[in-house]
Amino acid sequence: MDNRIGHVGLIKQVIFYIALLLLWQFIVALKIWPEYLLPAPISIGKTLLCGFSDHSFTIGIFTSLKRLCLGYGVSIIFGSILGVILFRYRTINDIMGRFILSLQTMPSICWFPLALLWFGLSELSIIFVVIAGSLFSITMTVNSSLRNMSPIILNVGRNFGAKKLNMLAWVMLPSVAPSLVMGFKQGWSFAWRSLMAGELIFNSLGLGFLLNMGRELNDMSRVIAVMFIIAAISILFDKLVFGRIEKFIQFRWGGIK
Amino acid sequence: MPILKVDIRAKEYLTSKGEGLLVMSDLNFEIKRGEFMCIVGPSGCGKTTLLNIMAGLDNHYYGSVLYTGERTRKVNSDRILIFQDLGLFPWLTVRQNVEFGLRVRGMSKSGRGKISRKYLEMVKLGKFSDYFIHELSGGMRQRVALARALAVESDILLMDEPFSFLDAQTRDTLYEELQRIWAITRKTIIFVSHNVREAVCLGDRVLVFSASPNSKIKAVFKIDLPRPRLIESEGLMSEVRPIMEALKPEIGRSHG
Ligand SMILES: Nc1ncnc2c1ncn2[C@@H]1O[C@H](COP(=O)(O)OP(=O)(O)O)[C@@H](O)[C@H]1O
Ligand SMILES: [Mg+2]
Repeated sequence: MDNRIGHVGLIKQVIFYIALLLLWQFIVALKIWPEYLLPAPISIGKTLLCGFSDHSFTIGIFTSLKRLCLGYGVSIIFGSILGVILFRYRTINDIMGRFILSLQTMPSICWFPLALLWFGLSELSIIFVVIAGSLFSITMTVNSSLRNMSPIILNVGRNFGAKKLNMLAWVMLPSVAPSLVMGFKQGWSFAWRSLMAGELIFNSLGLGFLLNMGRELNDMSRVIAVMFIIAAISILFDKLVFGRIEKFIQFRWGGIK
Repeated sequence: MPILKVDIRAKEYLTSKGEGLLVMSDLNFEIKRGEFMCIVGPSGCGKTTLLNIMAGLDNHYYGSVLYTGERTRKVNSDRILIFQDLGLFPWLTVRQNVEFGLRVRGMSKSGRGKISRKYLEMVKLGKFSDYFIHELSGGMRQRVALARALAVESDILLMDEPFSFLDAQTRDTLYEELQRIWAITRKTIIFVSHNVREAVCLGDRVLVFSASPNSKIKAVFKIDLPRPRLIESEGLMSEVRPIMEALKPEIGRSHG
């Protein structure tokens, strides 16, 4: 999809952002709202510079990313294992399928009271919420993509004598890779959202905490600056990390260029 | 001893309405080693079902299939089925597709390379070994599926209407190629076709199935024309006519 945004597209995008900045500056110059409600773009830039030079933003980013990687990593590993178990054992799927679906559809913010009572105001609480917000969606994806495997491909595997591990590594996993990647991407976005919500509530380091601090200090340019960082990280993972994997998979598996 | 002795007393499917559908019954025939046998019949008469049973992929039937005199109900790479839509692996290159059966047997890389090269040469795809499936034409994909099946050096090749989606020219070259490869490798081939002329061009024998439900073998024709046979040659016509005669009422029945 990104291919359509070629050279001309990039220039158009840059023009769009410049126009947006100019419009913003223009509205600020009209002085409809006071500076502490709508700061000028330049003061956001200053806050960003400031935050990075005193390392407070860098620390916030790393703290958040560490939590995200931990929580998401656990979700991928255990979510996948649970998904394979549901696929493999029909009775377990029949008994637990709906239960897990209901856990998946639960908004992750609903896990906070429980996490607080179990783990207190700790690092563990935040990571727990990230896991709770993303694990079950990964389980559901793994389960359903295994169920939707092409029976022809499986029969080809059987016919050529692939069994157990060979079947898994050479037939089943590759044949579900495209839908797995889609599910993992969705899981990532659940994890990221849960993390931001968690950090806003738990108020301990991280980007959500920086955002909250901006509010407590009545520092609007800080709030907007942190929001920029959060948006940048979202785009980075969505387009660069998952976008690349998806493009590779689409090309390899489907021949879509 | 025949390489395959088929004795299917009954094959039923459970339809979505929960009723039993008797696809075929009392099907008896034998296949000699090295024989090229074609099966024609109206669509829906159970040709694909029969291939699945012969490959050991479907065991839900009454009766028996004897492979080299022994009763078999297990799928095995002695009998490779080339599915109608091939079932090639899009995530693997041509060479990796061909080496798939060898890889799951745990053969070394160099051993696999030797065999895949041999068969890719045989199907004239030597230059395309590093291509992906979606980069190939329909005819080339057929060749990959054939090379993948040949690479495991099975006794029997089961082919399900393999050339039905190809254009006429590609098909005509593949008729010649398949006869050549059959002659070199001395495989036993069971080839399902919906085209009588094609069946006469390829087969030592042609089995005609009656329409389903409860289809049976309606007639067997022995084709004694010299090889290699060309699809456009006049000589085929005299063999085609009686088979058409046998098939026509069945096709009418299957639509009616
Ligand atoms: N899995 C299935 N469940 C129920 N009915 C089936 C199934 N597969 C095939 N059939 C039915 O069995 C009959 C034979 O099918 P098939 O072997 O595919 O025929 P052919 O290959 O000769 O066209 C058809 O009537 C088809 O609808
Ligand atoms: Mg069929």
